[in-house]
Amino acid sequence: MLSIIKLRLMRLRNDYFVFVFMTILALGLSFVMGSSQSGNYKPTVPIVNSDSSEYSNLFIEELKNSKNYNFTLTDYDNAYKKVDEGKVLMALIINKGFQRDINNNKMPKVSIIKTKDDIEILTTENLIKTNLAKLKNNVNIAKVTTDYISGIKDVDKKNIFNKAYDLSLENWEYKRPMSVTRKTITDGKWSEFDNFKHIIIGFTLFFSMYTIVFGIGEILNERKYNTWQRQIVSPLSKGAILGGNMVITFMIGIIQVGVLIMASKYLFNVDWGSSFLGIMTVSISFVFTVTSLGLFLSGIVKTHSQLAAISPVILTSTSMIGGAMWPLEIVNSKILLFLANLTPQKWAIEAMEEIAMYNGSFNSVIYPSLIIIFMGIIYFILGIKLIRFE
Amino acid sequence: MALLEVKNLEKDFKEVKAVDDISFKVQKGEIFGLLGPNGAGKSTTISIISTLLKPTKGDIKYKGESIVKNSKLIQPKLGVVPQEIALYPELSGYENLKFWGHAYNIRGKKLKKRIEDVSEIIGVKERLKDKISKYSGGMKRRINIGAALLHEPELLIMDEPTVGIDPQSRNHILETVNKLNEKGTTVIYTSHYMEEVEAICTRINIMDKGKIIASGTKDELIEIVNGNKKINLKFDKVSKSLIKDLESIEYISKLDVSENEIIISSNNSENIFKDITEVVTKSDSSLTSIDINKPNLEAVFLHLTGRALRD
Ligand SMILES: Nc1ncnc2c1ncn2[C@@H]1O[C@H](COP(=O)(O)OP(=O)(O)OP(=O)(O)O)[C@@H](O)[C@H]1O
Ligand SMILES: [Mg+2]
Repeated sequence: MLSIIKLRLMRLRNDYFVFVFMTILALGLSFVMGSSQSGNYKPTVPIVNSDSSEYSNLFIEELKNSKNYNFTLTDYDNAYKKVDEGKVLMALIINKGFQRDINNNKMPKVSIIKTKDDIEILTTENLIKTNLAKLKNNVNIAKVTTDYISGIKDVDKKNIFNKAYDLSLENWEYKRPMSVTRKTITDGKWSEFDNFKHIIIGFTLFFSMYTIVFGIGEILNERKYNTWQRQIVSPLSKGAILGGNMVITFMIGIIQVGVLIMASKYLFNVDWGSSFLGIMTVSISFVFTVTSLGLFLSGIVKTHSQLAAISPVILTSTSMIGGAMWPLEIVNSKILLFLANLTPQKWAIEAMEEIAMYNGSFNSVIYPSLIIIFMGIIYFILGIKLIRFE
Repeated sequence: MALLEVKNLEKDFKEVKAVDDISFKVQKGEIFGLLGPNGAGKSTTISIISTLLKPTKGDIKYKGESIVKNSKLIQPKLGVVPQEIALYPELSGYENLKFWGHAYNIRGKKLKKRIEDVSEIIGVKERLKDKISKYSGGMKRRINIGAALLHEPELLIMDEPTVGIDPQSRNHILETVNKLNEKGTTVIYTSHYMEEVEAICTRINIMDKGKIIASGTKDELIEIVNGNKKINLKFDKVSKSLIKDLESIEYISKLDVSENEIIISSNNSENIFKDITEVVTKSDSSLTSIDINKPNLEAVFLHLTGRALRD
């Protein structure tokens, strides 16, 4: 095994390029995406109010309360023009019949004008949907209350409705960001979801996966060089060949994750929380599992170029599903959320955020780390079974 | 006991029967040749001996013990020179030799010494610091061989080690094989160049389509086609009496006569030169040139299969 490790150290020139490339990509993209989504940048979203009703006004008012967006009223032509010229990402149209729909207890219709789909638009759409659901519910509650009370007494209907509406709105405030509420209770601290940090964590893991998968994929290059066959007929055992490659890839992976964490800490001032041990544990589990995943993928394909062809597809799609690109909080689909649980990325991101964002303790990463390692063991076993020694 | 014994070996690849029930023995100290055209099954046979492939049927014994069951028995003793270059192109010749030495459990000072010795043997000392990717084809072949010599193997298996290289490197490699053999290394040498096999091998298996179609020493093999010895005589003029006298030699099977030339085909070789000389001296024609087409392994192959060894 030692001879394989020494060999790989001599051959680091091969891994070094991927390593540097992924480091630059991860940091560069985090910076670009992070700076466009955080800080003082507030995207403007034009609203066209075609209903001009009591409820549509309530809805707009509620949207305007949002801290992260600048909702402004305008007319349809202007909104369309702005989206078309790329001055704004999207515009919201409140269609006619908005109030009528709510009164009939139907989900009111709103439209979005946009030229593309991206994470920012998805997040905004999500905010709009949430507010819409909220409005409809609140109106319902308020109506029921008003009807009930006015049935007993002859009172100011309007006044009661407003009170009931405000009350139920207040209720929402507590329930809204689930994770924040939870943190408030457990830590007694009020911290917010930090999108830049999320991107840093997601990209650190995502780009490290490439370094790791291509690191273990070197065994496919050995096959191309015919050195694989030569190793097999030498006294090197299969265990030593695979073990040596696994160990060196694992170390490269740890260094890659470490470099990205350190770089984000010192370049972008990202606070990684107070449990170094926790972050280490998650990193080690994750790198082990991705190394095994790489072994598994190298077992499926025949050549290194095939690996280079399927890896981006597999790594990118699982990273999207696992929430490395955008927070899973904006995902509604039950199926996608279920699938997310099957990716190691999801568990690693969750565990790292627990520490870096919500200041959790080491204990909070034990369970997710075990799940990650469990996945790793499965990939490892499949990997050894699939790698051909002929 | 033979050093290596191959018994009823078979190897199937999905559709193809690459090796079809072959048996042979390799004795200690031999240079054993495997000669055959492309696709004969030479590499497959060698891959099974070197434990890279498992046979479909049959067994291989090294010093009496099955290496199909236990590959660890032969691996440390075996040097394998694969048909394709099997080196790390981005590493230097020195680094390549170092790794393969490591793989065969040679370390430290001993390894350094061996790398020196081996690079001397294969003649690449000056270029050892350069990357393999910068080497010429012949240089790569030499390092490819060197990588199999570091642990001083008892049995050296070489699969077409001279393919695609210049005559100078080729001769050097053949000399190297002879030198190693003189020092006690047993060699299995694969080739489809019959000149090489003829030049260095003590015993030869001729393979075709997965089967061994003939085996023996070079002379034994050539004996198979001895009936076809051809002698080409040229004269200033050819007379009727000369033809008549030659025809009367009983073991001459055929005479091809043209203007100044007679081609003799004969079965027996022992007295032929004496008899021919006698006839020619008696005649009034004088001999201007004599050319003897000695049968070679190429002719043996042609005789056995009806096809040429190389197309
Ligand atoms: N891995 C494989 N899968 C399928 N068929 C194979 C494989 N290896 C060899 N063969 C087939 O087995 C037969 C024998 O091949 P082999 O490489 O042993 O021949 P060879 O005598 O070494 O020829 P060459 O002089 O071209 O190297 C050929 O028909 C070849 O196509
Ligand atoms: Mg071959």
